[in-house]
Amino acid sequence: MGRVKIAKKSTFIDMTAMSDVTVLLLTFFMLTSTFLSKEPATVITPPSVSTEKVQETNVVQVLVNPEGKVWLTMNNDTSSNWSNEKMRMALLDKVSEIYNETHKNKPVNFTEAQKYTFSKLGSFGVPLAKMGEYLDLVNQPEGQTKMDKWLEGDGDPNHPTGIPISWNDNESNPNEFQMWMKAMRQSSNENLVSAIKDGTGVAIKADQNTSFDIVHLVMDNLQTIHMNKFTLLTALKGAED
Amino acid sequence: MAEVQQNTGGDGKKGQQKKMQIRVDFTPMVDMNMLLITFFMLCTTMIKSQTLTIALPSNEKVDNVENMSQASEDDAVTIILDAKRKAGSMEVDTVNGKVVPVVYYYFGKPGGPEGLGDAPETIAARNNLQESEFLGNDEKSGKARGIREIIQQRNKDVLTEINKLKEKYASGGFGSLETKEGREKAQLAYDEAASKVRKDENLKKPVIIIKSTPQASFGSLVSVLDEMQINSISKYQIDNMTKADSVMVIDYQNRHHK
Repeated sequence: MGRVKIAKKSTFIDMTAMSDVTVLLLTFFMLTSTFLSKEPATVITPPSVSTEKVQETNVVQVLVNPEGKVWLTMNNDTSSNWSNEKMRMALLDKVSEIYNETHKNKPVNFTEAQKYTFSKLGSFGVPLAKMGEYLDLVNQPEGQTKMDKWLEGDGDPNHPTGIPISWNDNESNPNEFQMWMKAMRQSSNENLVSAIKDGTGVAIKADQNTSFDIVHLVMDNLQTIHMNKFTLLTALKGAED
Repeated sequence: MAEVQQNTGGDGKKGQQKKMQIRVDFTPMVDMNMLLITFFMLCTTMIKSQTLTIALPSNEKVDNVENMSQASEDDAVTIILDAKRKAGSMEVDTVNGKVVPVVYYYFGKPGGPEGLGDAPETIAARNNLQESEFLGNDEKSGKARGIREIIQQRNKDVLTEINKLKEKYASGGFGSLETKEGREKAQLAYDEAASKVRKDENLKKPVIIIKSTPQASFGSLVSVLDEMQINSISKYQIDNMTKADSVMVIDYQNRHHK
């Protein structure tokens, strides 16, 4: 009686093809992913039926946190000859020029090193008078962590973070927020300036639970300097919701 | 990981080159790639946020006077946004950390044609403020509810015209909907016709004035702007609360939310 011989089969599965596929997928995700940029405040934008897409370039985003503090982020059209860094440097020059017109006894001046540090900031919200002190922190060891700590204020409630903003309807005596916005409008980057004129260039981002008077303050400030058209950032929802 | 198999064929002739079979196991490589893919998938933000464009009047005081006279016309609807308050106090009440929006509205002038007056009795008697909610459409019947119903009633003329256009679009009256190009063309024609209807001077249209108490949430402002878009309102403005508005809101709250 001959026993049935079971053929020995190798259990080795060729994974080469599988690996090819995964590498392709990985490449796709690596190339398409845009990382969430770190923002000084986390806000949940309110749902809306509007389907207009947000502008990616040539836009100044005004981030308002629920306590009414304001940060600015500027995204440029990098295809033109203005890189984001170059634009921010020019912006800091412009805003200090405007600031010094009304603060003749306490002018602010920035060194090249400070301007360079500023050009690397994603979003900014520090009073101009404190800006130099803040920017100098980068030279210390672990400068980035120190800068972040400075913004948090180490538990001091009166710590100056956010761009100073107040009710003001006198266009010739702007507050710091209005100075920044004016500096944006007066920049030599024509694409940004025309986007601001169209109303697509200024976007207000606020939490859905932020009270109206805080948002109203920002809108009123913009109206005072004749930026009457702007956009509000929202999240998508269906018309029937 | 990788193995090299050698044919140890004893029957091979001497001097013949030995056949080598090289196999590399790719399983760990695939594992690692999958992990990386998962990481990138979770990190990407595919959804871009949307925007809502608004245009406000200039802040100069001269403009405001003009707006006020426009606002006192009879076809004006004033919507006042507010947040739900805790019972018996002015503090904002929240549910699961969210502010609950409350909407008040009145037609025409505050207090009706005679005005509100100063005495507490006349204020209570003439207060024409009414309360509503953001409700959207009824899920079963599709009927508008809450503040949307009120806006739709006021904007009936325009909405019937718009609905006619919608039907015309659906039945192919603006061009065939078969091809993608046809759809785009029809959409353009529809948009043009719809914007003509919205601006038609012969139709009765309300002027909506949006006001808000300081406590109302930003979310409710966006909701009310949405309602304008949903109900094809062409004329609306965001304005500041007047004294009469505040008096009426406080009077209403005192009488209804004790």
